[in-house]
Amino acid sequence: MKAVKILLTCAAVAFGSYPALARDVTIAGWGGNYQDAQREAYFKVFAEKTGLKQIETTYLGGLAEIKAMVDTGNVTWDFVITGGNELQIGCEEGLFERLDWQAIGTDGLLPEAVQPCGAGNVVIGNGFAYNSEVFPQAPQDWRDFFDREKFPGKRGVRNTPVMNLEFALLADGVAPDKLYEVLATPAGVDRAFAQWDKIKDLLQYWESGAQPVEWLASNNVALSTTYNGRIIMAKREGKPLEFVWKNHLVNMDVWAIVANSPYKKYATEFFKTVNDPANQAKFSSLMPYGPSNTKAGALIPAEILKDLPTGDNIKDAAFMSDAFWVDHQDELTERWNRWSTQ
Amino acid sequence: MKTSSRNPNSGRLTAVALLVLPLAVYALLYLMPIGSMIWLSLDNGELGRSLERFGESDARDPDARAAALLADMQAMNGRQQGEAARALNQEIAGFRTLFISTARKAGEIPPTMAGLTAFDARWADQRFWDVLRDNAGSVTWRHFRKATGLDFDKDGRLGPYGDDIYMQVMLRTLVIAGQVTIVTLVIGYPLAYAAANASPKFAHFVLIAVLVSFWTSVLVRTTAWVILLQTSGLVNTALVALSIVDAPIQLIFNRFGAIVSMTHVLLPFAIIPMMNVMRTIPKSQADASRILGAGPIETFLRVYLPQTLRGVAVGGFTVFILALGFYITPALTGGPGDQMLSFYIADFVKKSLNWGMASALSVLLLAAVLLLVGTFGLLNWATLRRKEPA
Repeated sequence: MKAVKILLTCAAVAFGSYPALARDVTIAGWGGNYQDAQREAYFKVFAEKTGLKQIETTYLGGLAEIKAMVDTGNVTWDFVITGGNELQIGCEEGLFERLDWQAIGTDGLLPEAVQPCGAGNVVIGNGFAYNSEVFPQAPQDWRDFFDREKFPGKRGVRNTPVMNLEFALLADGVAPDKLYEVLATPAGVDRAFAQWDKIKDLLQYWESGAQPVEWLASNNVALSTTYNGRIIMAKREGKPLEFVWKNHLVNMDVWAIVANSPYKKYATEFFKTVNDPANQAKFSSLMPYGPSNTKAGALIPAEILKDLPTGDNIKDAAFMSDAFWVDHQDELTERWNRWSTQ
Repeated sequence: MKTSSRNPNSGRLTAVALLVLPLAVYALLYLMPIGSMIWLSLDNGELGRSLERFGESDARDPDARAAALLADMQAMNGRQQGEAARALNQEIAGFRTLFISTARKAGEIPPTMAGLTAFDARWADQRFWDVLRDNAGSVTWRHFRKATGLDFDKDGRLGPYGDDIYMQVMLRTLVIAGQVTIVTLVIGYPLAYAAANASPKFAHFVLIAVLVSFWTSVLVRTTAWVILLQTSGLVNTALVALSIVDAPIQLIFNRFGAIVSMTHVLLPFAIIPMMNVMRTIPKSQADASRILGAGPIETFLRVYLPQTLRGVAVGGFTVFILALGFYITPALTGGPGDQMLSFYIADFVKKSLNWGMASALSVLLLAAVLLLVGTFGLLNWATLRRKEPA
């Protein structure tokens, strides 16, 4: 064992002196509690296995930085956690490396987690939340979110059509598995906007995931769309917030490696680390998002499991379609911007 | 060498040479990015080159254009296909998937119109071919068409046939910048006066107060306003406690909040130039005016104010130009109807990777600023000329 470690260290030193590896391996994540949990569950394990020194940085979404890096040939990030939509576009445009799934192995992974350029890793529940001190009578579903009489007050939402149009259709009674069928038709899009028209004057846009929690806790908005993890973490800190699980929309954050990363040869090791059920179970117990490895569920205690967007909570969830948004985001963002401007 | 060093002209030449160098560096550093931005808003080189054969094919012969398109697709590498698909999808939703799926199989599809429509029925739709034809050149106006809402009708006449949302946002940006400028000047003028004329101790206090807020990060100041003005914030709690209002009023996440926080951020830029001008005005002038019989108001309006107008103009103009480019502050403190043009520019850069569109909007914003600077310069010049003969 010791010999292996020494060998690894020697290898690391040898590689470390290689000119192309002048900088340390750089991992970009979403910051906050989320990244703290990833550090505990994955980064430390990866560092131990490879002996590599790591730098962490914050990723703010989008592909602009990554495209600039790849276009100029100055790749300063290696591993990045991004959204499914960005992954698909970035993969088609050569911004991410293709993964060698044969070497990584797909044992136990959800089929959606196995992507040509990325590994789905974090299952996120997108729903809405409320302050239980303000509304003792809890809102039940999306219909209540769009009901200004029953639940008066401002609504926190993100300034984008992505997911918001789905929420509106769920409120209008569309079945979770029919969402994208309806949304692909002009009449379906009109239906979604008609729902938003009902509460247009109540909207307050949030930019960062921390805002809905602050706003709900300080009674600034009555209801807000949000990620389940933020609300559960706030609850654990004693804030009187509740997440509505009915018809939440599930999406997956994915790990990818930036094209031409000098640390390409460590990709297999990295993806093995983040796909490992024990590591994923550790992550989920620190940060209440779901694992992408089905074997992780058995390793998570029941009291944590009830707060994850998996298990019982996933029964009537809808699954976000990255394929739909890759095609329609430009068009629908234009329409959303026009709608919100007028 | 000896003779030339005695030549009086050589010193001047050296001076010119020494001046030209920094000027060239300045022009390079300043004008290059602007130039490349303008270029980016029109450039279609990548896509144009990728569709070279298609661009040269006969538009009236469906089989020839289908064959040319398939040949172009085969010549592209995966990355070029992806970039072409992204650009085309900005024009018609769904073009990305259609383009990529066709390009992947381009070698197997029979190079005729029938072959293409058999592979995917959507190719029968003329709209896709029109968009391809529009984008086969090396220069494109599509970003400007979208940004201005101007488009050509069937007869080739230019008119407002498109969507003018970005022009509306531009107008809103100008209005917000104007509102912020007025508020800053109204608040800044007395403060600048106090700093320029009061006792040194008080003047220092005002100056330090202004500079401390100048040195604080924009985000910190903005967050402070959110805490102060929110529904359960200090201001609302005080207003309710004093029974001035019955229920908390909406002070933030609307135009009011956006203007308050932007004014705070920009106040130093108005105060400092006004204060500098006010300091140069001798106090004895006011005394002279009073001795000659003018009241305090007349003294202010006829003696003091006209002399400070230059500072007001410089301060106001600086604030206005800076306010035009704001987006973080209104995004955090404004409502849905208070997002400024830069918000959409940032959105295009970061989220949809549509750098051409972002450039087109930036060019429009730059044009608006240049137009205003030009008008301001012209007015300034006209007033100076009017004064000179007297």
